[in-house]
Amino acid sequence: METKSSPWKKIAAIIAAILLITGIALIFMLPAPQTRHYPKRIEVRFWHMWTGEWASVVDNIAQEYNRNQTKYEVVPLSVPSSAADTKFLLAVSGGNPPDLMAQWNPVIPSWADKKLLTPLDEMMTPAEWKEFQNTAYPVAKKIGIYKGKLYGVTTGTNVWALYYNPKHLREAGLDPNKFPKTLEELMKWGDKLNRYDKRGNLVRMGFLPGWLAEYAPIFDGGFYDFKSNKLTLNSPQNLRALTFLVDARKKIGYNNVVRFESGLLSSSNGSGDWPFIKDFYSIALDGQWRVEEIRKLAEDTKKNGGPWDFEYGTAPVPPPTGGKSAAGFADGNFLVIPRGAKQARGAWEFIKFWSGIEKPERAAKFYTWGGWMPINAKVANAPAYQKYVRENPQFKTFLDLMPSENLEPSPPVSYQIFLVDRIGRTDDFATRGSLTPEQALKTLEHDIAAEQARRKEYRYDVN
Amino acid sequence: MKKRSAKTIRNLTGYAFIAPWLIGFLVFTAGPFIASIFLSFTRYDIISTPVWVGAANYKELLTGDPIFWKSLLVTFKYAAVAIPSGIIAGVALALLLNMELKGISVYRTIFFIPSIVPVVATSVVFVWILNPNSGLVNSILLRFGIMGPNWLQDKNWALWSLIFMSLWGVGGSMIIYLAGLKDIPIQLYEAAMIDGANAWQRARHITIPMLTPIIFFNLVMGTIGAFGTFTQAFVMTQGGPEDSTMFYSLYLFNRAWRYLDMGYASAMAWILFVIIMIFTGIIMKSHRKWVHYGN
Repeated sequence: METKSSPWKKIAAIIAAILLITGIALIFMLPAPQTRHYPKRIEVRFWHMWTGEWASVVDNIAQEYNRNQTKYEVVPLSVPSSAADTKFLLAVSGGNPPDLMAQWNPVIPSWADKKLLTPLDEMMTPAEWKEFQNTAYPVAKKIGIYKGKLYGVTTGTNVWALYYNPKHLREAGLDPNKFPKTLEELMKWGDKLNRYDKRGNLVRMGFLPGWLAEYAPIFDGGFYDFKSNKLTLNSPQNLRALTFLVDARKKIGYNNVVRFESGLLSSSNGSGDWPFIKDFYSIALDGQWRVEEIRKLAEDTKKNGGPWDFEYGTAPVPPPTGGKSAAGFADGNFLVIPRGAKQARGAWEFIKFWSGIEKPERAAKFYTWGGWMPINAKVANAPAYQKYVRENPQFKTFLDLMPSENLEPSPPVSYQIFLVDRIGRTDDFATRGSLTPEQALKTLEHDIAAEQARRKEYRYDVN
Repeated sequence: MKKRSAKTIRNLTGYAFIAPWLIGFLVFTAGPFIASIFLSFTRYDIISTPVWVGAANYKELLTGDPIFWKSLLVTFKYAAVAIPSGIIAGVALALLLNMELKGISVYRTIFFIPSIVPVVATSVVFVWILNPNSGLVNSILLRFGIMGPNWLQDKNWALWSLIFMSLWGVGGSMIIYLAGLKDIPIQLYEAAMIDGANAWQRARHITIPMLTPIIFFNLVMGTIGAFGTFTQAFVMTQGGPEDSTMFYSLYLFNRAWRYLDMGYASAMAWILFVIIMIFTGIIMKSHRKWVHYGN
């Protein structure tokens, strides 16, 4: 059955076909998004999760490396952080992993356990490995080593300390130069610094102690004994820490705290929206990267002709009676080489270059570009790094924490993400008052024991 | 002979044209679907070869995993409220937008637009709208002297917030109801009016019964959709506070991609599949009693 089609339809069909063909042709004609600067060299494919300004810093480090030698070209690729782990896993299982990846999620134990990562100590000479063990900061080893093997080299550890606003302190009659030496005293300062509006809503928080993973080590607790390699979930110290956090929230009123916190702009928006800088906190716990962010913000504001009179100081979290000083949670950025990486050697050379395992004086500069904590004292003492600390005196508080044995990353067990999630739930249920601190820690212990039993049944690793 | 080969060629041509879809379906949908039956009886972490563990995943889920039950309850609660309220809101809106007013198509468009906005974008916007301090909802409530709740941060309100948000996308089903309304023969109303039926009687005895096939369709689709709710919770609450928005699919996702427990997640997927099949089956079975096809 033939129907007479209108000429317009024919014309439309022809135009559509031409457009389609042109479109497809264009796709092939467009240049590849990543252009190589040194096409004759061996390509080292490097995935990371930084974006914006941070991505530029990483690009610059890669370029510096590429200029510094003639064999390899490190080609960085920013992968969206929400999909990075999945992409990595699929790439490894598909047999086409990148040569190097920068990570900050707690993945080393589980990935190492699944044999996805190259043991980096095997890439080192015995002398290098010995040197690494002797010089790397304890926290860098805790993050990077799993079951005696090194899987990740930290290029920036994150540590937390207190930022305080001296103006607020002086207004409340407190002397910034006599910052509290005990947590109990700090809490009293916090009370004096709280400000409420007429309706009784909190408008400025003096000090609110944060989360359990940070405070457990400060109370001489923590979730893992790195000496005996055992979990320590429901310890009296952890209970003390959790009780302390719960009490602090109870005092202000849980709803008040939530209302106050959710009214703040997201601090991940950038330094300009950080509630501390916006005067919503007088004393706030935060990571060392804020120092660099504030420095950049000040620089930009001045450049744009704006006034800049923001004043701040930093101090370590003072321990409670019977607690530990220079303690707290730590995590960091680290570099891993997937198993099956085609250019593992090139990736390793770049790791040495960036981290400062080789020539720490040269690498110190890279750490200052990102305001990152060094991997060892050699980098920290290098002139470039010291200059940075002199220019940003607030940074010293964080740097002084680095040699501490009391910094605790997430426990290196093969089900680390599961455990981290469960610790988060413990925190959530207790600080919201649904479970008492005792019940919350008991639940945590029970849940983890159940998971271990299941893993045993499945013949997985339970450590 | 010649005829048959011509037919074969025609068939082959047809298959060749649908091949891109067919191959995609077989490789990316049917294949994993069937593989997941096997995987649900294994421990599997994507990277290593699956290891047979028998019914251990199912046993653990049903007897040893409180979050599994919690996530199921959350999903049931959501479905039980969001589906009926979606239908009521959809029908009500369609009735309103079925009126012959000047510029009615503009109103229809306005109500339809939210349903074409991606859920991720809607979710991000709603995080702001529901902000307890500066959000639109609480600001309006405050004008009436009401201190609004901490919507997404309060375990008693978080799920309700997501249900409330689900009504935002009701425009999609509304447009189908509207088409259904347009399809109701005018003579039915005329006859009813001659018989002296008032507006309510006409709605009760003509409009609603004649709409039941559409309601039925939306009920089935809504049920399947509600059990698969994921994005809102993933973007807005990550299952919190205190697991109050831990939807089944979100927990499944966490098991699969956060804990690399693909075997376990596959078992979860199959349990969900069975649940959805049961519910759809019940709805299908019941439809003879309440769905009218007008003949």
